[in-house]
Amino acid sequence: MKKKLLVLALAALMIFAFASCGNDESTSDNSESQGIAKEDIKVGFVYIGAIGDEGWTDSHNDGRLYLEEELGVETAYMENVTEDSGCEDAIRNLIDQGCNVIFTTSFGFGEWTQKVALDHPDLYFMHASGNIQEENMSNYFGRIYQARYLSGIAAGMKTETNKIGYVAAMGIPEVVRGINAFTLGVRSVNPEATVEVVWTGAWGDAAVEKAAAQELINKDCDVLTKHQDTAAVLLAAEEAEGVSCIGYHYPTADVAPNSYLTAPVWDWGPYYVEQVQKIIDGTWESESYWGSEVVKLDTLSDLCAEGTEDAIKEAQERLDSGEWDVFYGEIKDQDGNVRVEAGQSLTDEEMLSLDWFVEGVIGTIN
Amino acid sequence: MSERAYIELKGICKSFGSVQANKNVDFSLKKGEIHALLGENGSGKSTLVNMLSGIYVPDSGFIFMNGKEIRFDSPNDALRAGIGMVHQHFKLVNVMTAKDNIVLGQKQGFFLKRKQLTEELNAIADRYGLSLNPDKYIDEMSVSEQQTVEIMKMLYRGADVLILDEPTAVLTPQEIEKFFTILRNMRDQGCSIVIITHKMNEVLEISDRVTILRKGESVATVNTADTNAKALTEMMVGYSMDLSIKRTETPMELKKPLLSVEHLVIQGDNGAKIIDDMSFRLFSGEVLGVAGIAASGQKELCEAIVGLYHVTGGSVKLKDEELVGMSPVEIIRKGVSMSFVPEDRLGMGLVGSLDIVDNILLKTYRNHKGITVDRKSGEVAAKAIVEKFDISTPSVHHQVKKLSGGNIQKVLLGREIDSSPQVLITAYPARGLDIGAAYNIYNVINEQREKGVGVLYIGEDLDVILELCDRIMVMSHGRIMKIVDAQSVTKEDLGLMMLGGTVDGKEAHYA
Amino acid sequence: MLKIVKRAEITPMQSMMQRCVAVIAALAAAAVFMLIMGYNPLTVFWNLIEGSLLSEYRFQQTINKTIPLVVISLGIAIAFKMKFWNIGAEGQFFMGAFAASYFALNFTFLPKPLLILVMFLAAMIAGAFWCFIPGFLKAKWGTNETLVTLMLNYVATKWIMFLQYGPWKDPNASGFPRIPVFDDAAVLPEVFGVHIGWIIAIILVVAVYFLLNKTKLGFEITVVGENIATARYAGMNVKKVLLISVCLSGAICGLAGMMQATGIEHSLTYQLSGGIGFTAIITCWLARLKPVNIVFVSFFFAMLIQGGAYLQGSLQIPSAVSGILQGIILFFVLASEFFSQYRFVQIKKHTPSKEVA
Repeated sequence: MKKKLLVLALAALMIFAFASCGNDESTSDNSESQGIAKEDIKVGFVYIGAIGDEGWTDSHNDGRLYLEEELGVETAYMENVTEDSGCEDAIRNLIDQGCNVIFTTSFGFGEWTQKVALDHPDLYFMHASGNIQEENMSNYFGRIYQARYLSGIAAGMKTETNKIGYVAAMGIPEVVRGINAFTLGVRSVNPEATVEVVWTGAWGDAAVEKAAAQELINKDCDVLTKHQDTAAVLLAAEEAEGVSCIGYHYPTADVAPNSYLTAPVWDWGPYYVEQVQKIIDGTWESESYWGSEVVKLDTLSDLCAEGTEDAIKEAQERLDSGEWDVFYGEIKDQDGNVRVEAGQSLTDEEMLSLDWFVEGVIGTIN
Repeated sequence: MSERAYIELKGICKSFGSVQANKNVDFSLKKGEIHALLGENGSGKSTLVNMLSGIYVPDSGFIFMNGKEIRFDSPNDALRAGIGMVHQHFKLVNVMTAKDNIVLGQKQGFFLKRKQLTEELNAIADRYGLSLNPDKYIDEMSVSEQQTVEIMKMLYRGADVLILDEPTAVLTPQEIEKFFTILRNMRDQGCSIVIITHKMNEVLEISDRVTILRKGESVATVNTADTNAKALTEMMVGYSMDLSIKRTETPMELKKPLLSVEHLVIQGDNGAKIIDDMSFRLFSGEVLGVAGIAASGQKELCEAIVGLYHVTGGSVKLKDEELVGMSPVEIIRKGVSMSFVPEDRLGMGLVGSLDIVDNILLKTYRNHKGITVDRKSGEVAAKAIVEKFDISTPSVHHQVKKLSGGNIQKVLLGREIDSSPQVLITAYPARGLDIGAAYNIYNVINEQREKGVGVLYIGEDLDVILELCDRIMVMSHGRIMKIVDAQSVTKEDLGLMMLGGTVDGKEAHYA
Repeated sequence: MLKIVKRAEITPMQSMMQRCVAVIAALAAAAVFMLIMGYNPLTVFWNLIEGSLLSEYRFQQTINKTIPLVVISLGIAIAFKMKFWNIGAEGQFFMGAFAASYFALNFTFLPKPLLILVMFLAAMIAGAFWCFIPGFLKAKWGTNETLVTLMLNYVATKWIMFLQYGPWKDPNASGFPRIPVFDDAAVLPEVFGVHIGWIIAIILVVAVYFLLNKTKLGFEITVVGENIATARYAGMNVKKVLLISVCLSGAICGLAGMMQATGIEHSLTYQLSGGIGFTAIITCWLARLKPVNIVFVSFFFAMLIQGGAYLQGSLQIPSAVSGILQGIILFFVLASEFFSQYRFVQIKKHTPSKEVA
């Protein structure tokens, strides 16, 4: 009898608790941004991985710390956030804690960011690596394919077996673009070399990545690179005899001192400072940023083949001139069909929806 | 027999939680004597010997050996001092030989000196008159052989004080005789033996002295020659009581065939016949006893009758109705009721963690209409049973496992009888009970007989079977050796038949 | 020298005290841990409470996390009551979510109430089926259900993964492996800002309480769980009871999957559960399989989860730390379970040298 009462009381309690909550999110209209005082700004970051990954997440976290240092604004972050409703949770938690600027740093966060952005028109959202834009939501990314191309040159000059391995997460345009750019770089100095792709299906599964790397090593690849968030591929290369590696996202020479050549890396700090400064000034407008400023190539290690530095310097100059980019014709696909005529180039839109491999890539897009 | 105490326990106290198992117990053991520890269940016998053998450490009190205080922190300590214990449940590894079991856990070189070991064992066996094949595997041995291995193990390890916990419970009368001869041999060779038992006649037969424990206290130590069963019982239970079971004779004309089992065959999972071509009839108003050494098919027979065990062949008829093929629920409804008290008591028929009401409801809950359990009527029934069978419990909502053994068994039997069965099958209903509680149960069974119920009684204690039952069916390896009239058979004959032997004697006058 | 001794039965009052002591000890240990990590424990505890209760949004979040815990715990409780160790709630959850998603993705032409109802039933059937497999194997061949249910979790998770990367991949996600977002018709409505799962959870609490304590089936489940031999002697059809109750258990876990997919995620992913099927085993156990307790224990765990996420943002405590906090608390509560059955006694050593007078 007592228990029955308890059950009823409990039910009543829960109903009461909800009732007293009300349900409407208070919304204020999105009038012209007046700017926010620096001391009122709190910037929230949503990371897919953990700080200390020496990869994608660390590159953004370095940016966050740079932002704190440069502007003295308050920041907060959520790490290990999943690409599902967990992301929405994380963003809303940050907002709940007073964040008014949100950076979400994984492709799969896009729609969740958009969802929350639409609920909070008075707040600022920036989503890395996606393509969704709203009044109060930018997307931003870097032309990392350019650095990929440069790292390809290092790989092409280093390989002796003319087989290069590429451990990649999933076949979205961003990854495909990187593979193509890398391959173009490789073949610009070594037309004989091929790039073999293995998919892991996840951004950060070290065990699978390592297994994939070992599979590539067994197939005679002597230079490995990756589009993954962990350093497992580099470690596999380090363990193997006579295999070099090229990192990604973050300078990681210390992880594989005896095999590391270089890596295309991010440098988000200045961009973050610029964006937040615009918010402070009231001049922020949502945009779709895809620039070269946030990417660079890590310092070349002593393990690079002779002449690498000059070759890369030459290519860098071509890029800097603004008259040439990675996807300039003539470019053939895997089947030998010309996809970009000589003198032509891929537009940004074409690059952003790339779904074919250039000649020299072994593998299929899954 | 020397007069000086070899081992002496003084003022021993031991508690488990709120239960005080031993209170100021004194006990002394001389060199070369057989000393019986007599007491009801829960009187603290096992606790006492467990302290003597180093399993428990006393909360207070002293143990002296040869006048010196000693202290055992483990069974190994005790064994080093020459005290070895043979437990009721043997601690042997089935897939090993006797020899391996004996040396198991002993400090020894890397290689076993097998030959030397065999010689040593044979020497010990010769000395005390034990017979043992050291190379036989335990799982091929009979219970009494296993017991010999346990004793041998202790002797080999240097024990000159042996503690035997209920050693005869698993033996047939013939085996007991042999066993006692060995004990006497050992005594004569200077060993001291502590034997725990609750069977009065054995105490009188084998022991030199008896110490009686009651409710954790030592009541007295007496010379066996100076006492008798009645006096011992009185000291044990604390009051004088009549030790005969009143057997009421049912007039012959009231005895009608109730249950007929014909050519019953039951096969185990491995295809072996557990019950082999068994035929018998149970009459109304009689108690048919079933005697047999443990695991001769008693359990399977009970289960087969009430539809819980698959019957391979033959038939079981209640009056003229075939029971084989009916579901257990149907058979319960026909008025065949079974209560089986397994070794752990709560195993079958009761649920320890549930209260009395729920346990009473176990067989009747489905008679209530609807999806709910009718606990109100269960409570009424439970109260009636508690009252009728004088079950002592704080309330009917008390968990069954918190009751004492006798009360637990009364709940079980009470429920079965409350369903007014025509046939009552009851196995080991007095298992582990105090004398008083056991006689209570026997009286309940007698009452049922008077009411004309047919009772199939499966028991361990041949004395009880002889006194309680009208006829006795002796089983051996799944076969009926003979059905005999209880008043015309001796315990020794029963024992012989239980082992598969035949005896010339009077067949039961109706069968 | 210390020795472990089994306790006599302890009273409910003692047991309550013991748990309180355990929680306090856990908090103390957690405080020490935080001090070592360089955080002020009082601030952290306050933030835990603040972050899980003290705003409408946070409270809703906590409730959101309580709902699946409660529902799965209830499902597990039915199986555990029968001592059928269903470690497969995770898998049943996913199969339920899978079946519901099938209808959510393909039957959007149905009117909303009907579609939701269909998803409801589909999830329950799928969950029930996923638990029926180990139940059947156990009834038929006596296989170990702990292993089978555990293994089936992986099958279920990989199946969802396969769908997400393969046949069900959203063609409009430019290669990103995800299953399309549900149509509005397939999304659970909200009441007081939380999807109606909370009402279902409350109904289930009452229903499971009634089932276990009042009905014949509940009685049979209890008896089978406590003592199969007795159940058989009482004429119960043990296999039937087993199969019915494992199906119920699985159905409820499957339902939780449906609610999580349609109420929270609005889609299906192989990370949908976030390990909740395992957390629920703990909550269920700590609640001693009692439906009403389950609500409180689940709420407490949801507070830890939600509060832990808040800690990350507010105090920049890494997510691993809040995991450790949960671990410490669990450890102590489980230890208190041990001490409710056993205790340490000190054995007095004294020198055995005295001569008898």
